[in-house]
Amino acid sequence: MDRAELEKKLIECVAIAYSKDAASLTLDTSFKNDLGGASVQMVGLVSQLENELDVFIQLADAAACETIKDLVDKVEAEL
Amino acid sequence: MSVLDPIYAVAKENLQKVAFPEATNEKMMQAAYETGKEGYIIPVLVGDTAQNKALAAERGYDESVFTFVDIHDEEYKSKVIAAYVAKPGTMLKEKAMSRRMENPLYFAMAMQAVGEADVTFAGIDNTTGDVLLAGQMIIGLKPGITTVSSIGLADIPGFQGSEGTLLAVGDSAVCTNPNAEQLASIAISACDTVKELLDWEPRCAMVCYSTLGSGQGELIDKVKEALRIANEKRPDLAIDGEFQLDAAIVPAVAAKKVNRESKVAGKANVLIWPDLNVGNVAVKLIQQFGHADAYGPMLQGFNSIVCDCSRGAPVSEIKGNIVMSAVRAARSKK
Repeated sequence: MDRAELEKKLIECVAIAYSKDAASLTLDTSFKNDLGGASVQMVGLVSQLENELDVFIQLADAAACETIKDLVDKVEAEL
Repeated sequence: MSVLDPIYAVAKENLQKVAFPEATNEKMMQAAYETGKEGYIIPVLVGDTAQNKALAAERGYDESVFTFVDIHDEEYKSKVIAAYVAKPGTMLKEKAMSRRMENPLYFAMAMQAVGEADVTFAGIDNTTGDVLLAGQMIIGLKPGITTVSSIGLADIPGFQGSEGTLLAVGDSAVCTNPNAEQLASIAISACDTVKELLDWEPRCAMVCYSTLGSGQGELIDKVKEALRIANEKRPDLAIDGEFQLDAAIVPAVAAKKVNRESKVAGKANVLIWPDLNVGNVAVKLIQQFGHADAYGPMLQGFNSIVCDCSRGAPVSEIKGNIVMSAVRAARSKK
């Protein structure tokens, strides 16, 4: 999976976990400022990543990401 | 008579299957064994069955008290996974679930999610974070609830409240800085918890430094908004505020400060703190100056009962928490 595909996939996962329209999300979307940052949604996102990308990201590592781009970087490093 | 005596009596009449994913731990196995042997629960040891059986024998326990579930039993695991992924709204798919279930904590919760157990009891080897994560991922939150939280029960000598010496307080342990929606969830969950555990009719006060507008500012605004959300979501519950602590629990103060009808003012049996700073300090004050016995914290907000015990807890405390969890599970089914 190349970087562009990964970014698209991550945005889809975030959209599902946070019940948002994927079109409203960008790589610069902030988890805390734009999405509210509730832990239960972050748990949903980590689950989505496991389901869709077969990648195991610790909740604390995901929660430390400020933007979707930061999460893409983290997932890319794990793949 | 202990506060827990009536709860122990209810447990005996409604035996629940409690899953123990940390049974290799000596204190946990002892607590599971004694509560099972004394007839309060059906203890289900989830893990490597050969290891659990060997440890039970070594520790001198009658094996027949336990039900053993082996996490290496692929046939049973497949059955649980199939039932789990067939449920609506579950977070993990088959492959991810199978991997997670290599950990007994997730295996136990998966069993609970599909009705093979009523409670998962852990926290002596796993951290609170581990238990909360697994609970949110596998058991999930109740509809309309936005955060996991906790409630504790204080038995305060000399306190003459609406439930005698008892008072339920929360959240003093889990949700650090709840927003208004989360604070509303804490209040709603707390009402459900005391109803399940103690069969109380909950009267829940949202407390802060203001009584009905006597103080102003963003800290008060959050509590007022939380109250509005809680009342909108659960009009069946008596949740009221914003009250100062004395207006919540002292009838004479309530009569002076609360100049409107309230089912809660002056007779609250549940207090909801505005954040964890208040909650932690308040509980320490109750214990230090009020010489209270504290029970819990009990996790709440999950679709079914998950219990996280303190890693330093003695066996007697673990047993009490096991029985309280079982009673909550039994009553939540009614």
